[in-house]
Amino acid sequence: MQRLKNALVAGCALIAADCVLANVATAQELDVWSISYDSDIQREALRRAAEKFEEEHPGTNVQITMRGTDEHKTALRVSAGSDNGPDIFLSWAGRGLGGEYVLAGLSRDLTEYYEKYNLADRFSVPSLSFVDDFGEGMHGVPFRFTGEGVFYDKRAFEKAGITAEPETYEELKSAAEALKAVGIPAFAFGGTVNWHLMRLMDNVLEAVCGAETHDALKKMELDWSATPCAEQSFVEFKEWTDNYILSPFMGIDNKQAFSLFVGQRAAMMLETDHQVNQLIEAGVDFDDYGLFKFPTPDGRLYGFAEYLYISSKSENPELAFQFIDMFTDVDYQTEIKGAFGALPVNTAVKQDADVNPIYQEWTTLLADAPGTFVNGDQAFPLDVTTEYFRVFNQVATGEIAPSDADDTMATFIANRG
Amino acid sequence: MSLTKATAPISDKRVPGRRYDPVLVALWIALVAIAAIWIAPFVFILFTSLKSNAEVMVSSAFALPTSVHWPNFEGAWRNGDFASTLLNSTIISFVKVPLGLLISAMAAYALARIQLRRRKALLLFILFGAMIPFQVMLAPLFTLVNQLGLIDTYVGIILPYLAFGAPYQVFILHGFFSAVPKELSEAALIDGASHFTIFRRIFLPISLPVLAALLILDFVNTWNEFAMALVILQDSSMWTLPLGLMSFQGQFSSDYGQMNAAIVMTVLPAIIIYLIFQRYFVSGLTAGAVKA
Amino acid sequence: MLNSRILAAPRVQALILLSPVLAVYVVFAIWPMIDVIILSFQKWNGLSDVREFVGFANYEHIFFRDAVYWVAFKNTVIWTVLSVIFPPAIGLLLALGLNEQLFGRGALRAVYYLPVIIAPIAVATMWRWMYDPFFGLFNQLLTDSGLQNLIRDWLGDRTIALYSVFVAHTWQSVGFSMVLFLAGLQSVDRSLIEAASIDGTNRWQSFRHVTLPALKPTLTIVLVLTTINSLKAFDIVYGMTQGGPAQSTQMLALWAFTQAMQIFDFGRGGAISVTLLIITLAIVVPYLRWTQREEDRP
Repeated sequence: MQRLKNALVAGCALIAADCVLANVATAQELDVWSISYDSDIQREALRRAAEKFEEEHPGTNVQITMRGTDEHKTALRVSAGSDNGPDIFLSWAGRGLGGEYVLAGLSRDLTEYYEKYNLADRFSVPSLSFVDDFGEGMHGVPFRFTGEGVFYDKRAFEKAGITAEPETYEELKSAAEALKAVGIPAFAFGGTVNWHLMRLMDNVLEAVCGAETHDALKKMELDWSATPCAEQSFVEFKEWTDNYILSPFMGIDNKQAFSLFVGQRAAMMLETDHQVNQLIEAGVDFDDYGLFKFPTPDGRLYGFAEYLYISSKSENPELAFQFIDMFTDVDYQTEIKGAFGALPVNTAVKQDADVNPIYQEWTTLLADAPGTFVNGDQAFPLDVTTEYFRVFNQVATGEIAPSDADDTMATFIANRG
Repeated sequence: MSLTKATAPISDKRVPGRRYDPVLVALWIALVAIAAIWIAPFVFILFTSLKSNAEVMVSSAFALPTSVHWPNFEGAWRNGDFASTLLNSTIISFVKVPLGLLISAMAAYALARIQLRRRKALLLFILFGAMIPFQVMLAPLFTLVNQLGLIDTYVGIILPYLAFGAPYQVFILHGFFSAVPKELSEAALIDGASHFTIFRRIFLPISLPVLAALLILDFVNTWNEFAMALVILQDSSMWTLPLGLMSFQGQFSSDYGQMNAAIVMTVLPAIIIYLIFQRYFVSGLTAGAVKA
Repeated sequence: MLNSRILAAPRVQALILLSPVLAVYVVFAIWPMIDVIILSFQKWNGLSDVREFVGFANYEHIFFRDAVYWVAFKNTVIWTVLSVIFPPAIGLLLALGLNEQLFGRGALRAVYYLPVIIAPIAVATMWRWMYDPFFGLFNQLLTDSGLQNLIRDWLGDRTIALYSVFVAHTWQSVGFSMVLFLAGLQSVDRSLIEAASIDGTNRWQSFRHVTLPALKPTLTIVLVLTTINSLKAFDIVYGMTQGGPAQSTQMLALWAFTQAMQIFDFGRGGAISVTLLIITLAIVVPYLRWTQREEDRP
């Protein structure tokens, strides 16, 4: 019996020790949670940042944990309800993602740092637009601004007799038609990852509805079923999915779509600026590729920002901020130039003269754009995003008619408990 | 002749001098053809894992690889963090399986051999758990483990595994123990042995075959488990083999060679275990069938 | 040292032997089952400290305002019905075939059973690759044999996606029922069959009148186990389609998981889980009572 008691005590001690060890982050430890980026360049940039910080601050240990996108989101949620968690976490900055965390109190108010270090001057205007959008105070520090535009294969355009980059939505459609006439699918998309096809839907909404209405629809201030351009957008979207996308696409993901694009099976892709890294890794000849903004009447750039947030539960906010400071500082940003795409958030970072031509175009695009609009899955709260995915997917697969799609969206939004 | 056939042990050997029944020949051909279809996926996966990505895109499905493209396996091992996931799966399985079997056997013995009021009800209560899909409880399970601070720990995943693995084992072992002749334990009881001793010295040794079968079955089930691990092991350094594969699929789906190499490395341990311990799988399953 | 007299009592010994299993079982299996029912009446996002009581609001929402719920419900029913019919039928046929004395039947049996021991998530990944619209096995074979018009987007076409996943599931689970049937067939009295064939009955008749009746208990087991297992379908759908395209392969267990762990509406996830629990109980409880009655028979 005594042995049994001893065993029980030992067992409990083990469990307790396990708990304690899991919870404690020592005074000099920083836990950074990030997503696992597609390319090695980006992952290296993060790892290198940890190393550099440890070199500059001896005795510190920076632990970077990288997860797949969905797992990262779930892990943050999990940590929200427990004492385990990161000191710094990465998130897309829109309402549906970063905004959720801010509204749930997971992010630390960084107003004091912004004021003390005059951070607002460091970053580009578009990248800063989400800092004080939600809740009280200023949250998160931009570390990446991503633009999304149309990459196209010049050889395909040549074959179809397209001589100029489309500048209006109508011209884009004619180009797609011309490509179809010579047997080339205009776009490649991966349907299994909902956010990829969503880019087309978002841009069609922008093209058909215009900036103001589009924003109002996404903010759910306008009734989808009462706004005619919403239905019209779905009609246009269906036309695209029926005629101008490399088929079959619902069963493949974005990476496979990209492989097919590089394999010259389609003419265009709606991709982020960092796709340039993918093209570099694929070893393409950049003379064959070009870039233009998806044409819309108001000319906004489609894009989103990724921010580094300091957790409100962090025990080392000072140290965490120093890491972020170092990461976004002009020195390190220059060092990792191009790793996270063509558009450094730090305005002081200059591009090399001999940089990839597409990179240069990106910078021009951003500079010229009168504004930006964000991806649907970041504009909407989570449950609406899920429904949004379902609705346009159903339009694409022919399950519902475009004329019913806007009603379905409206019904769901109205029913939200 | 036919009578001896009826009582002869069923074996794989052909009875010499037997006339070939055309129906049986046709049957055999059909079975082999179906078996070929059944094994085709494995062949396809294996072949793809040995080809480079470029080769995959141009060669046909069952074309033999021109050469073995080892970088697929190296890349998959590295990118899928197989060293870590393999270790985690091993630790979790090797701790949970024997432990689970032990506590199930203890409970089964108590329910089969010790006079208790309502022991039938207790057995039913435990058996109930074998029928309920734990998938409906993933969210509350997560909440519970989280509240206990055991997310991302071995303890946190092993305890629920024990809870859901016990019912079936208790059920099987209860049936087995109930069938043990009473005289065996009665003599020992009269001599003053405690139930612990009887359990340890009499029942465990004689139930070794059943235990072995249950051990193998449980090992494979634990090794392959996905949904609970998905919910409880959030940190990628704690992932088990199935979680690693799923994550790999999400990240490297377009690298077909590596993807298939990852599949091969994930299923290989189970296949090896199966080929070695074949008969235990069958006897473990049939023990359940016969009992019920 | 505890009083050894107390320890000598059989009931105390029983308690000690039973307590580990009961402890983990009650805490990690029974409590979550209760908690899921409680959750279904609450509104909780998994983050906040407050779990608000909302009565039947969650149920109202999933029954009347959630289109996906009924899709998942329908799919779960279809899946269960198909799972109870096809894999066991094929398993029975294979078992009957393998029951004969054939050359290499041990190897054949091993081939059919092998998929059972592979992790469902690995099966999902394997078949997802096989279904790849451009380079997967099926479309490649169809192209090679000139049957391009039969090419499909197996997992991307909402009309066939669920069935594509089901085929993969069948591939994996046939071996399970096959082995059970084989065991059941061993218990069929060979002498009865021999007697029947001496009497002049043909194969089919002897199957119908001798084998089949003797298989009834095994058949029951297979059907019940298959039903219970099919209600659990999760890993394979998660790994192949995640419920897509456009939620057309969504299943109750997966939709409950999605609501709770991905959309962070634990209340609605709980409500969906409870409906699945009720369906399961509706099958399991009568079966348990039936087995109890069978056992109590002299």
